[in-house]
Amino acid sequence: MKSAAAVPAKKPGDSKFQLFLREVWKNRMVYTLVLPGLVWLILFAYLPMGGLSLAFKDFKFREGILGSPWVGLDNFTYVFRDPAFLDAVWRTLAINIGKLIVQFPFPIILALLLNELRMRRFKKSLQTIFTFPNFLSWIVVSGVVINVLAYDGLVNSLIKLLGGTGINFLGSEKMFVPMIYLTDIWKSAGWGAIIYLAAISGIDTDQYEAAQIDGATRLQQMFKVTLPNIMPTITIMFILSVGGLMSSGFDQIFNLANAATKNVSEVLDVYIYRITFQSSTDFSFSSAVSLFRSIVNMILLLLADRAAKLMGGDGLFR
Amino acid sequence: MNTFKRKSVKSVLAVALSLTMIGLAACSNSGGNNAETGSANEGNPTDGYTKNLTISLGSTIKTASSDFENEFHKYFTDKFNIKWDYNYIEWDSWAEKLRLWISSGDLPDVASWNYVHGDAVNYIDQGLLYKLPDDWKERWPNVAKAYALTGLGDKLEELVGGTYVLPRPVYFENKPADPLINQIGVIALRSDWAKAVGFELKDAYTTSELMEFARLVKEKDPGKVGGNLVPIAYDINDALTNIVMANSVHSRVESAFYKDAEGKYQWGPASEETLAALKELQATYKEGLLHPEFYTWKNGEATQKFTVTGDSAITSLGGLASYRKDMDTKMKDNLGVNSDELVHTAIVLGDDGKYRNLDQVNYWSAVIFNPEISEEKFERIMDFMEYTTATEGQTIVNMGFEGKDWKYGENKELVSLLPEGTTLDKKYPNRFEGLYVLADDFSVVNPAIKKEYRDRSVELYKLKAELATKDKATAEYDWDYQLYDSKAKNQASFDYATEYTNLILKPGDLEANWKEWVNSKMSLVQPVLDELNNLKK
Repeated sequence: MKSAAAVPAKKPGDSKFQLFLREVWKNRMVYTLVLPGLVWLILFAYLPMGGLSLAFKDFKFREGILGSPWVGLDNFTYVFRDPAFLDAVWRTLAINIGKLIVQFPFPIILALLLNELRMRRFKKSLQTIFTFPNFLSWIVVSGVVINVLAYDGLVNSLIKLLGGTGINFLGSEKMFVPMIYLTDIWKSAGWGAIIYLAAISGIDTDQYEAAQIDGATRLQQMFKVTLPNIMPTITIMFILSVGGLMSSGFDQIFNLANAATKNVSEVLDVYIYRITFQSSTDFSFSSAVSLFRSIVNMILLLLADRAAKLMGGDGLFR
Repeated sequence: MNTFKRKSVKSVLAVALSLTMIGLAACSNSGGNNAETGSANEGNPTDGYTKNLTISLGSTIKTASSDFENEFHKYFTDKFNIKWDYNYIEWDSWAEKLRLWISSGDLPDVASWNYVHGDAVNYIDQGLLYKLPDDWKERWPNVAKAYALTGLGDKLEELVGGTYVLPRPVYFENKPADPLINQIGVIALRSDWAKAVGFELKDAYTTSELMEFARLVKEKDPGKVGGNLVPIAYDINDALTNIVMANSVHSRVESAFYKDAEGKYQWGPASEETLAALKELQATYKEGLLHPEFYTWKNGEATQKFTVTGDSAITSLGGLASYRKDMDTKMKDNLGVNSDELVHTAIVLGDDGKYRNLDQVNYWSAVIFNPEISEEKFERIMDFMEYTTATEGQTIVNMGFEGKDWKYGENKELVSLLPEGTTLDKKYPNRFEGLYVLADDFSVVNPAIKKEYRDRSVELYKLKAELATKDKATAEYDWDYQLYDSKAKNQASFDYATEYTNLILKPGDLEANWKEWVNSKMSLVQPVLDELNNLKK
């Protein structure tokens, strides 16, 4: 009552901006809570976008982003002249679509299974075990994978001990992408499951009780109660994953790749790294590639959002 | 009485005060002169740096914090009254880290940089490198003398109108041969295994002869290493040097763009010679003479198969005597053997018997300064380099201290005083103070390295020079190309070791794959060829 009384009364001739200000003032407590997030977003997400103008400039460090001369679309001409660029684009899409199909369901399945465990302590222990790999850096994980799968490594030693011949796991183009998926599932499925477990914990227990009264088995409860209830979360996560189709785990691929797997491992992020840091420095060129990637990511995200809405689900933007 | 006493105390105080003032004036005078004039011409600056300076340094020599306490490092830090803020750079990330530092303005006060011409021009243009004062050559004559021998220094000055980069001379006082050919392309092989399988020891082998030796070793396993045997321990860069380059001189990044007999620029990786070299590399791999996963090896891992585990018959060594000494130390430490009885060094020829390598310009990497470095720090570093470039400094950097680590012999030759089995590296580990002249130069005369190793190194340099003059198959250092810079040239810079390895491992016909690869690169290569050929006109 007190705050409502403090709001200046609405007048018939007020402009839209005045109405907006009045609305903000009315809900000032809520907007104050939003403020830190908004400031963060402006500082770290929107202001750096000014750097994207480098894609249309010939960047000179001393002249800075604003002072460097404009060159129009010259940098994009160079980008599209390099066949390795388009190869990297298709490769990135292929690997990430595969990830979406193979990897995306794993955290959901893990969350559903963990939810069915009744022994609370056992459930917590398993959850910790599954979540732990997420905290290891890819350098560590890659080191372990390379040592285990190397020609003189653990797996090959076992194969040789059993009378078999060694396998070039690390140099096989065919095995590289599955290795990427498997290691990523091992590392991140537990972490990804946390979001779904949180969504599951929000489900009204009355629904389970009603299902039990109706004689539903545990499996039926899982499919008829749990899954439909977490579907909005799954949709959001799916849309976000689609929005990241052009960005793939650079540190994972960079650390596991070698000369033998170059044709299947040079994804867009690795390409950007190579042209930025492993050949002559050209930040304008790298920015052009990054901008292209971001635009494609944005288009994919909007398409996925639209598709989700057309299928009757919730989208990101309502 | 009292008056007299008071007067005498006053006099004593006055005299003491005067002496103190004179002393202070003398000290500050000496410091001031130093700061103004740099160092004495003899490269032995008068100690008298009154102000302690902390100087940040970027270097690829690994150090431990305890190293800075040893007598060797302390000698230099005390002499020049400096404290190092040392930034170690991993060899594998050297180029990348320097690019980041330079581009972001975070370059240490002084750093060793793997000179890349296109980048240098770009950085200078953007003001990212310090411009040395116009009179630096008069103020630091030893550095200037060594600088003049690099060739690059003067050419770069003409191009950019000043000195921004100090290319590091490979040879200064002790050039081993003329013409000078790059030190790469020297291999080490197990002489005991060669004798056991009846393989002749020579000074030069064709790549096919080395394959033959590897085949014999694989068949007879003279070292009884069983399943661990790696007949030829090369990583992808070694394979490029000792198999591909030996048969196709324009296959490397340094020489990929070259002028043909008509003076027209061509791209070496597209030549039939390169294809033939790749076929040989593929055959070596497919026969199991290389390690099945040689492409996963990082820097130094290949040599370890020879020096640490003793599982290999051939490895890439390089032509410096110091490399041979390191090999000897490692084999002694890890295998408990005397390498003199087991190792033979030789150069590699192409299968047609011709010798191919890169003509060596007399520089490798460069010293650069932060553009914001203070004059005081810059002068101190230059004094430091002036001293370490001169004879006295070079001797200390490479041999330690006179009377303790070495002495002059009867004929004024250098004699090491280090006990048998001790090396200077062990006594004073991680010596990075030779900031300017590379250790290659002193290694020719350094008695801390066995005379046999030094003589062999010079012998092979001379053989290279002789074969290069006879065969005329080495790659000329093309200043026109090297000093040319363009966006197209930068974009057409490939990691050939990775590209070739990928080609030979790719399923299908190598020739078809190679043709496809060449075609895929032409959209980047052709603009460079066009630019270079137009430049010529």
